[in-house]
Amino acid sequence: MRIRMLVPALVLAVGAAAGGCATSEEWAEWRAHSSHFASGQHATFSMRNREGTAPRVARADIDAARSENWWGKAITVSPDQIFQN
Amino acid sequence: MRGARWAAVGLLVLAAGAGGGGVALAGPIEDKVIPLERYTTPKGRALAAAHQPRLLKFSEYVYGCLPWVDVQKQSIGFQRPKFAAGDDRYFSTWVIIDQKEDPQFGAVPQPRRMSAMFSRFGIDLMRRMATIHDVVVDSNVEGFSVVVSWLKPGTLKSGQPVNESVAVFVEKAAALDYLEGRLPAAELARRVRPLGFDGQKDLGVIPLEIWDDPLMATYKVPNYEPPPGITC
Repeated sequence: MRIRMLVPALVLAVGAAAGGCATSEEWAEWRAHSSHFASGQHATFSMRNREGTAPRVARADIDAARSENWWGKAITVSPDQIFQN
Repeated sequence: MRGARWAAVGLLVLAAGAGGGGVALAGPIEDKVIPLERYTTPKGRALAAAHQPRLLKFSEYVYGCLPWVDVQKQSIGFQRPKFAAGDDRYFSTWVIIDQKEDPQFGAVPQPRRMSAMFSRFGIDLMRRMATIHDVVVDSNVEGFSVVVSWLKPGTLKSGQPVNESVAVFVEKAAALDYLEGRLPAAELARRVRPLGFDGQKDLGVIPLEIWDDPLMATYKVPNYEPPPGITC
């Protein structure tokens, strides 16, 4: 009787785990992936570089790219939820 | 080899600190450091006053050498965790990662995402913080704390972006044992205090895993030139 109840529970648990998680292959791919950064877009960077000159990226270019990709003010934990002064 | 590489990073940070002159401090560097007037206890103020130049150099180093990391304003300093009964001060940094939406990342359960982001960014930051020798050896510094925030997958589409955050506190001995290879990652994970936040919702202590992730040590923005005066 107990075994009969256990089997569906296990099936449900495995199904939920598989549905809610990335597969190990997908996860491995994320971990190996190095270009997650939204400010890594090259549109702004390339504007500064003229043909025939060595390309270079300055800190200000990255700030500009970050502003371009800014998605609006995100709801974030407040410092006083973590720290006390 | 790994130790030598981090020793070199440490020397660069310290050399920058010793150099004095160098880069003129600008807003984006100075505003990341907690101002002295924000400390409310003598211990906090004394620590900040003693190490403020080093904190500024650290801020400058992160700004110039890790441009893909955005440091939260007024977050580099000596923070006292909310859970501390006494005036325990942790050398702290808070970074925001402007990570793109990624379906693979979004499919991972939230505690695992927090583990991944802390393993990737938090551990590396802590490693770099641990190279600031004078701060590390100060007996008034209890440990390290690193907060990592990033866009919660799927919230951009909803019109109200939300950041997930993980705040990790670790005592100095455990951190240094791990960084110097005397403590396995799994044991470090048992000895830290990891707090999770979904937006402003406090998730409490979360199950944190820690593993090696070399991205921060190896990633380079192609053709990036640090600002003049900053050596990476």
